[in-house]
Amino acid sequence: MSIRSLSQTALVLMVAALTTTAHADTADRRIALSNNYAGNSWRQVMLESWQKTTSKAVEDGLIAGADAYTTAENQATEQAAQIQNLILQGYDAIVIDAASPTALNGAVRQACDAGIVVVSFDGVVSEPCAYRISMDFPASGVEEMDYIAQRFPDGANVLEVRGLAGVSVDELIHQGIEAGADKHPQLKVVGSVHGNWSQTAAQKAVAGVLPSLPRIDAVVTQGDDGFGVAQAFENSGRPLPIIVMGNREAELSWWKKQHQANGYETFSISSSPSISSLAFWVAQQILDGHEFPKDLRSPPTRVTQDTLDDALDGLAPGSILTEPYTVDDALSLKAATSSQSAE
Amino acid sequence: MNRLMQATLNRQAWAARPWIWSYVAAVLVLIATWSFTGGAGAGELLSGALSFSAFFAVAGLGQMLVITTGPGNIDLSIPANIALSGALAMKVMNQQDSLIGLGVLAVVGCGLSIGLFNYVLIRLLRIPPIIATLSSSFLVLSVAIVYGRSVRIQPPEGVYQFATGKVLGVPWVALLVMLLALMMAILLKRTRLGWGALAIGQNPRAAALAGIPVERIRCCVYMVSGLMASLCGLLLAGFSGGASLSMGEEYLLASIAVVVIGGTSVGGGCSNVPGVWGASIFLYLLVSMLNTFGLGAGVRMILTGCIIIAVITAVSGSAVSQAKAR
Repeated sequence: MSIRSLSQTALVLMVAALTTTAHADTADRRIALSNNYAGNSWRQVMLESWQKTTSKAVEDGLIAGADAYTTAENQATEQAAQIQNLILQGYDAIVIDAASPTALNGAVRQACDAGIVVVSFDGVVSEPCAYRISMDFPASGVEEMDYIAQRFPDGANVLEVRGLAGVSVDELIHQGIEAGADKHPQLKVVGSVHGNWSQTAAQKAVAGVLPSLPRIDAVVTQGDDGFGVAQAFENSGRPLPIIVMGNREAELSWWKKQHQANGYETFSISSSPSISSLAFWVAQQILDGHEFPKDLRSPPTRVTQDTLDDALDGLAPGSILTEPYTVDDALSLKAATSSQSAE
Repeated sequence: MNRLMQATLNRQAWAARPWIWSYVAAVLVLIATWSFTGGAGAGELLSGALSFSAFFAVAGLGQMLVITTGPGNIDLSIPANIALSGALAMKVMNQQDSLIGLGVLAVVGCGLSIGLFNYVLIRLLRIPPIIATLSSSFLVLSVAIVYGRSVRIQPPEGVYQFATGKVLGVPWVALLVMLLALMMAILLKRTRLGWGALAIGQNPRAAALAGIPVERIRCCVYMVSGLMASLCGLLLAGFSGGASLSMGEEYLLASIAVVVIGGTSVGGGCSNVPGVWGASIFLYLLVSMLNTFGLGAGVRMILTGCIIIAVITAVSGSAVSQAKAR
C-alpha cells in the first residue's frame, strides 16, 4: 500500500461523498446506447436493465435522455454507421455493446474527436480513447476449472463447450479454461465444441460429439448453454456430469430439480446483464467530470449450492440472474480498479 | 457393347437422382467418424443424426417448395417463425398435456398466417420475396421478443416424450418427418398444387398461359413453408426443453443449404424430397465428424465449406449430365 494508493482511496471517498450534490451538472446531457444484437435472453435482460435504470435517471432529472438503439443484422459495418448517426444527432456520450473489438474503431475515434464520451461494455472496443467495462473473462474460466478440480481431486475428464467462434469473449474464456487445465494437471479436457451461446446449438453440438468421447465427469460452459448440455446428456442416457452453469433461469431450475432428486451440486458463473446500467452510470459520471481509468472490471455474478434458492427467488422463467447497479457501484468499480493498478 | 449400355444406364440412373450424392456424402462422413473412434458409439451417433436432422428436414421441406417456384422465391422468415412458434406453443400448452391439441392448432395457425403475410407483402406491395420475407422476419422476431420474453417454459410431458422418444432406436420425430416428407412428395407428384409449383418454377409465363392459377399457388407455397417452419419450432421447443429466441438462428442458411445440397435446382422447377433429408443428415454428421476430430474452429469452418462445395459440385455435375442425356 503506497502513499499514492492511499491518497487515491481518500480521493475516491471524497468523490463518493460529493456525488449526490454533483448530479445536476448532467441534467441537459444525452446518452445513447448502441447495441449490436438483441436476439437472446442475456441481451434482452441487458436492454431491460438499461431501460429501467435510465428511465429512472431521466425522471430524476439526472440526465435529459438515454435512448437505446439496436442494429438489426449484428454487423459491424451497420453498427459503425449507427454510431456515426448518433454523433450527428449530438449525443454527449455513447455507450456501446460492440459487434467487433476492432471494426468500430474508426467510428469510435470520430466520436471521441467530436468530444463525445465513449463507453464500451461486454463487447468492448480496442480504440484507446474509449472506456472498456467487462468481466475478467479469463479469470472466470479459471474459476470454473478451480471448482471442478476441487470436486475431482483425483482427476476428471472435462468437456469444454465454447461460445461463438471468432468472437473475442469466446477466446478469452477459452484461455481461462486452458490456464485452469495447466493449473490442475489432473483435469483432462477430452473434447471441445462450439455451442454458440445457445441452448439448442449446444445441445446439438454436444449430442454429436458425445458418442466419440469417453466418460465425461464435468463440463465447462460459457453461459446460455448449460441447460442444452444437460438435455444432450439426459437424451444420451449417459450419467450426468458436473455441468458448470451460466446463471440462466432454465439452468438454475434444472440444477435445483436435480439437487432435490439426487443431491446434484454444481456452480454457476456469468457476467451480469445489468452491466449496461453500470456502463450508463460510468458514462454519466464521466460527463459529470469524474475521471475513470480506461479499463474497468465488472464483478462476475456467482451462484453456489448455498445461494441457489435465493438466486431463483423471483427470477422470471427464461430470464437470467442480474444484479441492479447504482451510481455507487460505478464509483466503487473505479476504486477497485485503480487500487488494483496501483499495487 | 452390352457393358457400355449398362454403364450408360447406370450413369443415367445416377444422373436422374441427384439426391444420391447427399446420402453418399453422409455415409462417407459416417465411415470417417467411425474409423476415427473405432466404431465406438455408432448407434448413438446414428440415432442422434436422425433426431437432429429431422428439424433441418422439416424446415428444409418448406424452403424447398418455395425455391421450386422459381428464381427469386425464397423464405427468409423461417428462423423468426421458428422462434415465435416455439414460444407460442410452450405458452399455450402451459406444461399441461390437456392443452397440447390447442397448442398444435395455435402453431399451425401461426405458421399459416406468417406464410400468408409473406405472400401479401410480395403480391400486394410488389416487394421481391427476398426482401419481403426478410422484413417480415424482423416483424415476426420482434413479436417473438415481446410476446415470449420469458419463453423458457418447459414443454408438457407428452410433447417432451414425443420429441425425445424413440421406437426401436428410431426417434419419433424422425418418423413424423418421414411422414411429412412423404406427404410433400405426394403433393409435388400427384396434386395440382405440386404440378403448378413445378410448372411455375420452370416458366411462370408459360404456366400462366396454360391456365395455372400462378398467384394462388404461390400463396399456398408460402403458407406451406410457414407451416413447416412453425412445426419445426414446436418440435424443437419440445426437444430442447423449451423455446428460446435464438433457437431458429442457424436455420436461415441451413434451410437453404439442405435444399441445394439435396439436389433441388436453385433455379426452380425441379425439387427433390429425399435429398432434403439426406442433406440434413449429412450436415449434422459433418459437424459431428469435425468436432470428433477435435480440430480448431477455423479449420472446421474451412473444411465444412470445402466439403459442401464438393458435394454441390457432384450434385450439379450430375444434373448437367442429366440435362445432356435428355
